[in-house]
Amino acid sequence: MVIEIADVIISGLINGSVYALMAVGLTLIYGVSKAFNFAYGSFYSLGGYIAFLLFGLSFINNYFLVFLLAAPILLVFGFFVEKVLVAPLRKRDDWEIKVMMITLGLALFLDNSFQVIFGSRMKSLPPFLEGGFEGGNFYLSHQDVGIFFLSIGGILLFRWFLNNTRTGMSVRAVAQNPAGAQIVGIPKEFVFAATFAISTVMVGMGGILLAQKYFITPMGGWDILVKAWVITAFGGMGSIRGGLYAAFIVGMLEAFVGWYFGMTWTLIVLFAVLLTTLAVRPQGLLGKWG
Amino acid sequence: MLRVTNVTKKFGELTAVNNLSFEVRQGQIFGIAGPNGAGKSTVYNLITGLYDFKGTICFKDQDISGLPPHRIARLGIARTFQIPQTFPSLTVAKSIEVGSHFGSQKGFDKDHVDQVLAFVNLAEKRDAPTGSLNLLHKKMLMIGAALATRPEILMLDEPMAGSNAKEIIQLMDLIRRINQDLGVTIILIEHFMKVLTELTQTLLILETGTKICCGDPKKVTSDPRVIECYLGDCND
Repeated sequence: MVIEIADVIISGLINGSVYALMAVGLTLIYGVSKAFNFAYGSFYSLGGYIAFLLFGLSFINNYFLVFLLAAPILLVFGFFVEKVLVAPLRKRDDWEIKVMMITLGLALFLDNSFQVIFGSRMKSLPPFLEGGFEGGNFYLSHQDVGIFFLSIGGILLFRWFLNNTRTGMSVRAVAQNPAGAQIVGIPKEFVFAATFAISTVMVGMGGILLAQKYFITPMGGWDILVKAWVITAFGGMGSIRGGLYAAFIVGMLEAFVGWYFGMTWTLIVLFAVLLTTLAVRPQGLLGKWG
Repeated sequence: MLRVTNVTKKFGELTAVNNLSFEVRQGQIFGIAGPNGAGKSTVYNLITGLYDFKGTICFKDQDISGLPPHRIARLGIARTFQIPQTFPSLTVAKSIEVGSHFGSQKGFDKDHVDQVLAFVNLAEKRDAPTGSLNLLHKKMLMIGAALATRPEILMLDEPMAGSNAKEIIQLMDLIRRINQDLGVTIILIEHFMKVLTELTQTLLILETGTKICCGDPKKVTSDPRVIECYLGDCND
């Protein structure tokens, strides 16, 4: 029993860490530009498929190279999508709704493209670490430990970026006060595109990490979009710290509900928790009114 | 130094600024006044690139019409807002550093940031979160962030609003020092006529987006058209 619960906690922590990495990206876009990206889940699948393609190249045989090559591809892709599809809409009335619609269209386009290019069968990635820690009935794979530390490392890197780089400073300034940021010389439009690109890298990296455990499918991103949205709303729209807390709560909740009631109950319980939270505290855990 | 020529801005059917022309000379303090809704802040938004418009705005003979706000800031035009626009989670020093990092053509200069902090009397509060400051200090900080961009023109939007008599004296002293000690040209939107007549060399009066008159502040404030439209007709 104790070992089972320890297993569940570890599973919750691992999933929570990857959810945190991905939810922070979605929170970042919303916090800075107030846009909701419906293609976020498809960017998760894109990360997995890019890794799948890279592993098909003869000279690539380890995850370090995959991350090294996938990150700039995702960065350029995210930047390009924001500049070409999202930025022109900001000058129009009701642009927030239009951004939701166009990113929804992009998600459907990408998912169907994945299906045509890669087929509907699941694709898998090799585990980036073999073996595990054993002791009696207890087993913890090195892969899970690696996923946990890479996700936490990604979040810490992001935090360092926000607090210690010039672009990070501009992102924080625009998120807190777009008008004030512009008039002290910050190019707001560039910051919007940069945050979109960074969030694409974060969710894409999450896709690569989780694809080792849960495979890659053309429509697999929708589950991630729903969870990222639940975490973002639960933590407080635009609150990065709230998103982090919410990600680990959701990860734990999912693990315990899956263990006790079965996996089919996890989404139902997640939405019940979300609805209850929003009914009692509409701004989420750490969000602010208005 | 700054030339606004035949500028018009409409919001739907509403003409906020109507065929407005004026010129600001280097080194002066130029005042803009008018009743609420006269278009004063809209003029600032046009000059700083926040709105598009018809007409031409030239800064040091360069046409800046249509340039984005961050490029105009980098050219040397800084501004403040009536409600202080600060970065609540950044410290006072970091907020001023933002201006130095992004608005200054010379790039980030820590010594200059320290000088600005001292100049706006916020050196002792350098590590305080911006959100914890009182209104006067927030105004000082906003002016400091603008000064960190090393502007040639500083546009202040009703800096005295919500201030008591003592704070008004402090702010007037700061504005004078910015103009005289730093050599920064200042454009000042203000409702307090005493502040305008004491500080400015030229005063522009607007009503419903149209120029009523422009010139020496003492003459302007005694102009019957200004008394009628701005100060109100005493015979009413």
